[in-house]
Amino acid sequence: MADDKDVLRDVWYGRIPACFTLHQDQVTEREAEPYYLLLPRVSYLTLVTDKVKKHFLKVMRAEDVEEMWLEYEGTPLKWHYPIGVLFDLHASSSILPWNITVHFKDFPERDLLHCSSNSVIEAHFMSGIKEADALKHKSQVVNDMQKKDHKQLWMGLQNDKFDQFWAMNRKLMEYSTEDGGFRYIPFRIYQTTGERPFIQKLFRPLSADGAVHTLGDLLREMYPAAVTHEGAEKRLQVVIHGIEPLLETPLQWLSEHLSHPDNFLHICIIPVPSD
Amino acid sequence: MERGRTVQSLSQFIGRFLKFDANEHLFIYVNQSFAPSPDQEVGVLFDCFGSDGKLILHYCKSQAWG
Repeated sequence: MADDKDVLRDVWYGRIPACFTLHQDQVTEREAEPYYLLLPRVSYLTLVTDKVKKHFLKVMRAEDVEEMWLEYEGTPLKWHYPIGVLFDLHASSSILPWNITVHFKDFPERDLLHCSSNSVIEAHFMSGIKEADALKHKSQVVNDMQKKDHKQLWMGLQNDKFDQFWAMNRKLMEYSTEDGGFRYIPFRIYQTTGERPFIQKLFRPLSADGAVHTLGDLLREMYPAAVTHEGAEKRLQVVIHGIEPLLETPLQWLSEHLSHPDNFLHICIIPVPSD
Repeated sequence: MERGRTVQSLSQFIGRFLKFDANEHLFIYVNQSFAPSPDQEVGVLFDCFGSDGKLILHYCKSQAWG
């Protein structure tokens, strides 16, 4: 039987094969070859696509180059969402590799945030961790850490160093035995339809009488359409890191083992693929 | 204030109210601990971090708790 710690490694090292192609409207000095790259599910697009940018800059004139942005089948890809979430939400029913289109002009201001440097990504990532700890521990654990500890979390993500990251992150996953779990579970539920970007509300890992809350309990409260009843046809999939966990899985366990490095459980609700 | 309003929209409103220059940037913090993403909805912040029917936000021109 796999150890729970193996799950942490499997989540960290999840990869998605992608093929980057320059948009046909981009003016080039010569033909641009597509660029292939394995993308870490738990990272962010702007953190891992420097090579993509360098590759395409070689065939472009400097005056045609503005901030790079990426798009899949017409949908601008939000760099501040984890890569795995973007894939599961928009492209999981397509065949691999994930075909991403690269742009260097006409930045879609309404859809995307700018990302002028890695410190923007770091600030966003650290803010996510702090928000998650505000929910889990009333910020006590993250506030007790020193600045160098915060830096270690970021450096671990940036340099793909599992041990460096988890040496510090394990503190954010602790709780006292009398509590039985975190105060509230940090989660976000994404869907492909509708206006709102995601659902995020307060939800405890244990009920008032001490019963363990499961993934199914969370969904029945936040997104009942995702929980199919006996005999009904299943229309929606509940996906975390590209898999469908059993609805009976305790939410506290999911939070400790299937959270992203930002300490949030990112859950995608997608239509069941039609063959 | 409507739930769907974003942090960015709020930040811009305060910036105009305080007569900021175009290049001055406003940081908004929740619980004096984290700065939410500009596209975060105020309604979500209220649900998760509000109390007594209010959401208290702090703003500053420089990074304070980030």
